[in-house]
Amino acid sequence: MGPSWKDNHALYLIVVGAVAWLVPGGGHFLLTERKRAAIMFAFIVLTFLVGLYVGSIGVIDPVNAKPWYAAQVMNSPLVILLGQVAASGNYPVYGRAGEIGQIYTSVAGLLNLLCVVNAIYVAHQRTVEETKA
Amino acid sequence: MRVGTDPISMLWLLPLVATISIVYKSTKVGYIRPLPFAKETAGLFGSIIVFIVVAATILYLLAWAVTGPVPALLDKSTF
Repeated sequence: MGPSWKDNHALYLIVVGAVAWLVPGGGHFLLTERKRAAIMFAFIVLTFLVGLYVGSIGVIDPVNAKPWYAAQVMNSPLVILLGQVAASGNYPVYGRAGEIGQIYTSVAGLLNLLCVVNAIYVAHQRTVEETKA
Repeated sequence: MRVGTDPISMLWLLPLVATISIVYKSTKVGYIRPLPFAKETAGLFGSIIVFIVVAATILYLLAWAVTGPVPALLDKSTF
């Protein structure tokens, strides 16, 4: 049997980080931390959706609100697709795009960044412990 | 959705603080068991709220002083 893909340490960490970014809590799910993953997924996605509900898709503004957009993209790469729609300007706005909605979606993104970093750290720690054992 | 600028709209921070507390604690605790996790989260939630209230009070008092007593004192100064 060939070496496990986990044996390539850097690749393993990159995969964990990428999955954690793609789906909030995905990195911890990959590390078999199911409860943690479920909590992260539920609360980050809920916060992001509340932000979208409050301010509509206009909260994602890659043109005029780049710092906020950078934080929002941390939710998932799928936000980039929403940013493309928002940049086209062909959407109805049902709320005020700034303020609460922007804060909610951006904080959700920053929380997911925290989860991504934590997932990579846990994966690294486990690999180091397995190597020592 | 309409979000006002009245004091009640400040309550929008509560769900956000709750989410921050829950997600942050989910990365920090060793094992997730419902009751200890709830206690840890409640502790962080409370400390963030207390800090916000203290900061808001200080800012309110500063704004009150700058817009009220301080200009009045300057007007009546003996200089």
